[in-house]
Amino acid sequence: MPPKSGYQNRIELLQGTLDLLILQTLQWGSQHGYAISNAIRANSKDLLRVETGSLYPALHRLEKQGWVKSDWRQTEANQRAKFYTLTAGGKKRLLSERDRWSQMVAAIGAVLDAVGNEG
Amino acid sequence: MFFFKRIRKDSDLEEEIASHLRMAASDSGPDAALREFGNVTLVKEVTREMWGWASWERLWQDLSYSCRVLRKNRAYTLAAVLSLALGIGANTAIFSLIDSVMLESLPVKNPQELVALGDPTATQSMSEGSGGNTRIFSYPFYKLFREQNGVFSGLYAGGRSERLDLQDEAEHPHARFVSDNYFGVLGVAPSQGRAFLPEDREAVVISYDFWQRHFLGAPNIAGRRITINHRDFTIIGVSARGFSGDIVGYQTDLWLPIEAQPEANPGHDYRNEPNTFWLQLMGRLKPGVTLAQVSTVLNTMGTTIIKEQAAKITLPAGLEKIDREKIAVQSGAKGFSRIRHSFEPMLKILMALVALILLISCANVANLQMARAISRSREMGLRLAIGAGRGRLLRQLLTESLVLAAAGGLTAVMFGYWISRLLLQFTARQNRLPIEPHLSGTALLFTGAISVVAALLFGLAPALFGTKGNFVTHLRESKTGRSKGAAQRFEKGLVALQIVLSLILLYGSGLFIRTLQNLEKSNVGYRRENLLVAELDPWAAGYKTLQIDALALNLTSALSAIPGIAYVSFSENGLFSGTESGTENAIEGFTPRSPEDLVNRSDKVGAKYFSTVGIPILAGREIGPQDTANSARIAVIDEAMARFYFGNAQQSIGRHIADPDGKHPMTIVGVVGAAKENGLRDPAARRLYTPFLQSREDDPIGAFHLEIRTSANPGVMEASIRRAIHKVDAALLEPSVEQVQILIEEDLEQEKLIAKLSGFFSILALLLASIGLYGVMSYLTVRRTTEVGVRMALGASRSSVVALLFREAFSMAAIGLVVGAACAFAVGKLTASNLYGVNAFDPLTVAAAAAVICAAAALASWLPARRASRVDPMVALRAE
Repeated sequence: MPPKSGYQNRIELLQGTLDLLILQTLQWGSQHGYAISNAIRANSKDLLRVETGSLYPALHRLEKQGWVKSDWRQTEANQRAKFYTLTAGGKKRLLSERDRWSQMVAAIGAVLDAVGNEG
Repeated sequence: MFFFKRIRKDSDLEEEIASHLRMAASDSGPDAALREFGNVTLVKEVTREMWGWASWERLWQDLSYSCRVLRKNRAYTLAAVLSLALGIGANTAIFSLIDSVMLESLPVKNPQELVALGDPTATQSMSEGSGGNTRIFSYPFYKLFREQNGVFSGLYAGGRSERLDLQDEAEHPHARFVSDNYFGVLGVAPSQGRAFLPEDREAVVISYDFWQRHFLGAPNIAGRRITINHRDFTIIGVSARGFSGDIVGYQTDLWLPIEAQPEANPGHDYRNEPNTFWLQLMGRLKPGVTLAQVSTVLNTMGTTIIKEQAAKITLPAGLEKIDREKIAVQSGAKGFSRIRHSFEPMLKILMALVALILLISCANVANLQMARAISRSREMGLRLAIGAGRGRLLRQLLTESLVLAAAGGLTAVMFGYWISRLLLQFTARQNRLPIEPHLSGTALLFTGAISVVAALLFGLAPALFGTKGNFVTHLRESKTGRSKGAAQRFEKGLVALQIVLSLILLYGSGLFIRTLQNLEKSNVGYRRENLLVAELDPWAAGYKTLQIDALALNLTSALSAIPGIAYVSFSENGLFSGTESGTENAIEGFTPRSPEDLVNRSDKVGAKYFSTVGIPILAGREIGPQDTANSARIAVIDEAMARFYFGNAQQSIGRHIADPDGKHPMTIVGVVGAAKENGLRDPAARRLYTPFLQSREDDPIGAFHLEIRTSANPGVMEASIRRAIHKVDAALLEPSVEQVQILIEEDLEQEKLIAKLSGFFSILALLLASIGLYGVMSYLTVRRTTEVGVRMALGASRSSVVALLFREAFSMAAIGLVVGAACAFAVGKLTASNLYGVNAFDPLTVAAAAAVICAAAALASWLPARRASRVDPMVALRAE
């Protein structure tokens, strides 16, 4: 196996969260890659920027796993683009990812609070 | 499929990214869009990885790269592929023979349900008179057991036929007499016409091959007439294509109903003889019945039937045998076969030989790869430098080995078919192959498997050596062309291994060749040169017991009159004819320790038999014209019998020998030398000779043989002998006339084949090993060019340089020879049962084999050494 590229390493770091963000964004309707990245940036008040080198591999992986499906459509600006749509499986996945995320936040918060109390 | 999908997905991704860039560009301008996006190629690359095809793609890359590399290095590829094709091809050939003879099931319905009763190797056997045969069965027994057994859904019988003559045909077809349910029980429907019905008499089913061969596949063959032994038969059907009977190694041409046996073999009627054993039985198990149950039924109910039937005719002593020996029962899935039994030792030896050959070819290719690993050091170094992992390189190199092995394997399949065909031709009789050579699925699987094993054997170590270290050492090595110490030791080890293997092969073939020579020279006890044997079947021409005596005497005097014929006599069994008789006797003054002590081989012979054949008379007299049905009953015994029963020849004269119950006494009038009459390996057995003309009514002469001693070349006499016999009685079937010398040589067929093939294989091995040694020596010599230059510049002579390099070669050879000698003796022990007149531990043969190897090694290392010694010192020094 060749050494893993830098991009892939970052995907792995973000993996769970990026998937969650993409699925959450698609909850409001089909979107193409560019719009998804813009949406995440806008909704995070410009805090989170998704690199294309992570976004597209993530989209293709989600599609391979059957959580999203894709088709070619026209955008409002009348451009051809590949739109991704959440599947039924994807909706379930989103719910479980959200659960996991809130558990994670709660758990990390608890840990941080405990450290704060002692300090 | 995969590629089209792949191409579509690729262009899809291309467009997706393009549209992203377009949209980004319209928002923030093209430059910013590109900057924002990052490395487009890399994004594509990591996205593609998500498709999960990466490992396939890498394999494809490796494969196409391997093919490119191999195509570029044609000489190397050719040498490696040829070497492998030889090794793998030899294995494929021998394995496919083993597969067809020993492993393959009959091409019938559910062969695993079939059960063979008795001895499945007794395909051409026949035994009359002796009760209690446990190997083959009588027809009356079959009919009763077929009805009563309760364990088979069907049970059929098949038996041998005497020679059959077709009208105007030189070829004698292979025929079997079978019960009417033969094709039904086997579950092979005829391809034309129909199978047998119980009421069929003069009916015959022909094989698909026979139909093609003799009738050129003529349509509507069913209903045609065919003349067999001057009788008319009707062809009722043609067997299924690919079905050549239930005997492996004897391709059946014709099947005849057992009920038609007396018509097809005139003069003989075995149908109602409970004491004529000639049938082999095969049953199809009822569901849920086991082999053990079959054995129980056969050895209780079955033996009871046999004993009841035989008791009317046979003495109780003959029946004891069936109580002592159980009748065997075994799976019939692979059919009956004589050659399965007789070829087995030969096939095992050959398999071992070719396995060694494959090892030698692998060592050769490994050495080629080691040498190439050095020249590829730069490539490997570069690839390591630009970030390839060792695992990736190993995979690439092993893929290359697999491609080589696959090419070798494919070539081998073609080779293998022809080699196995050639081998079968060696064993063919009358131009008929015992089995049709073919490569079954099993054989192809085997070839594939050994190709992969071979690739690992020859590819793994060189790949490991070739990828060891970092790119710095690789790039440095590529400049000096030097291999590391461990790699060098490995190369030398490979050469030593090849020498070990070659020595084993040479020693083995030496033993087999000496075995053959010993057998050829072995004393048969008579003069085999200028001796002919003619076989006659008077019963087929309508003769009865007493008339046969007259016929034998008439033929003797007719043949004696032919110029060039010195003596003529006659006997029942002939020499090396494949027929043999045995009797049980009571011996005057001898107390047996076991029942076998009273069993002797026997023959009935005419006047002057011993002087005709050339068996020396040691005491008393031989059987003469005065010993007729009306004179006193006499016997002549051989030396072995005289020694066993009476101590020596002289003391035997005048003693008496009789039936086990004391009846029919005979006086011994002569003792003759021991003679081998069937097979050279067995020590000459105890043999009892009685006068042909004193044959008893309860043991009449069947077919008999004429022994003819010629003074001229026997080959030219055959035609005039046939003419003379025809003149005596035109009704006699054309006799077979054979030279004893040739019959004896045919008896050595397998030994010859083993000697020839092992000789051939060991020369092949030696050649491969020499090439290996030559390669390694050339390479080592080139490596030492500078050293040689320095030495010569300092005044070393040419011969001392050659000696220096020779020492290196012979250190490898010496290790190989010492280890090889030890292994060779071990291997000799394993083959001891196949040897004759030569010890498994034979220093002379080992010395000869070692000498041959030394000569080859000397030649292989002399050439590179001489080249090195001619190098101009200045050139050599500059080369550094």
